[in-house]
Amino acid sequence: MTGDRCDHGLDSGAYVLGALEADERETFERHLLTCEACREEVRELRVAADALPLAPPRIAPPPELKDRIMAVVCEEAELLAAAGPQADRPEREAPAPRDPWWRRRLSLRPAVAAGLAAAGLVVGVLAGVLAGGGDGGTGAREVVAQVRPAGAAARVVLRDDRATLVVRGMPAPPANKVYEVWVQRGNAQPAPTDALFRTTRDGHASVAVPGTTKGVARIMVTAEPDGGSRTPTSQPVVIASLA
Amino acid sequence: MTLVRRGHAAAFEVVYERHATAAYSLAYRMTGSRPQAEDIVQEAFLAVWRSGARYDAARGSVRTWLLGIVRHRAVDALRRSGPYERRRVDDEGLEERLPAGERTDVEAARREEAREVRAALGTLPGDQRRVVELAYFGGFSHGEIAAILREPLGTVKGRMRLGLSKLRGALAGIEAEPHA
Repeated sequence: MTGDRCDHGLDSGAYVLGALEADERETFERHLLTCEACREEVRELRVAADALPLAPPRIAPPPELKDRIMAVVCEEAELLAAAGPQADRPEREAPAPRDPWWRRRLSLRPAVAAGLAAAGLVVGVLAGVLAGGGDGGTGAREVVAQVRPAGAAARVVLRDDRATLVVRGMPAPPANKVYEVWVQRGNAQPAPTDALFRTTRDGHASVAVPGTTKGVARIMVTAEPDGGSRTPTSQPVVIASLA
Repeated sequence: MTLVRRGHAAAFEVVYERHATAAYSLAYRMTGSRPQAEDIVQEAFLAVWRSGARYDAARGSVRTWLLGIVRHRAVDALRRSGPYERRRVDDEGLEERLPAGERTDVEAARREEAREVRAALGTLPGDQRRVVELAYFGGFSHGEIAAILREPLGTVKGRMRLGLSKLRGALAGIEAEPHA
């Protein structure tokens, strides 16, 4: 095997199977950046790993499952259609924005939001402050965050100088990724935190934002590779403006 | 635009038809629970739908992507459950259960594909196959597998690597002779 030429080659199989611990995976991924032999071996072994999900004996799902999924799909398709001609334009076809991503608002169109809200879905649209927010505590307030995808909701609960992010209806992060919380002070580059999270099956999560909120203008969330990133690698899915 | 979006829903339905059995089979293989498998498959398909991706039902990458989501959700579900549940990673008691209506040409080809991958897995020495299956279908880390099997970590990693390498070779043999 090509990885035999390298001391790290032993990890390639466990890496492709997702069986390395998080710190080992990070180390191995850093190694892959500089080792062609291991990259080649990972490419080869991934062909085998990609075939594994096809191995289980075939069992047909119950027809009701398709009915349930297509009911949601058709409802959301109707809402998007009602929202106007641009509502379902794929994001990647949008012109490249000039501002850095942390200065942009999420591209949830008001018409889409209205349509979804009319359907009883909870949508956080515009950042707003609810003084004396809904958690019943004194000195606490809530900030409703911009969030995507449509149908998800997020708010930040502020108490003293601490913040807790609460999300609802948020899909799990993509494969091999976690959600990472970022804080932005003034107009500075967003700073990474060690608050990494996934959502429950119901799309719920409640996350304490590390550090004080003093001087924090925005709290954001992006999907990042397991272990988190030092600089964001994807567009934010949540933006809460505290100021 | 309504028609276009309805077109998207129709395109998505084709994606569902093509990949639902593979997704459900994988989720059931991993969790051993029909209700859990249904939840996982529903979440995975809706994640694909809500991503806004353009669907080309013929593209293999849609299936790889979808099955990747299914596996991750199933691993999450397994990690929430106890260790006993997570050990059921062999195929005993599982049979091909498809109603007559499912036995289309496409589905026949897919079942043939599944048989070929299982046959390729069957060529692996038992100790290599076991670590590959515990990792992939059981969602165990190499450390957990070493503890289960009471083997050194290096031995487990070595078997994973050898097992995948042999599987790659066996699959290449099948590709070379697709109807052998």
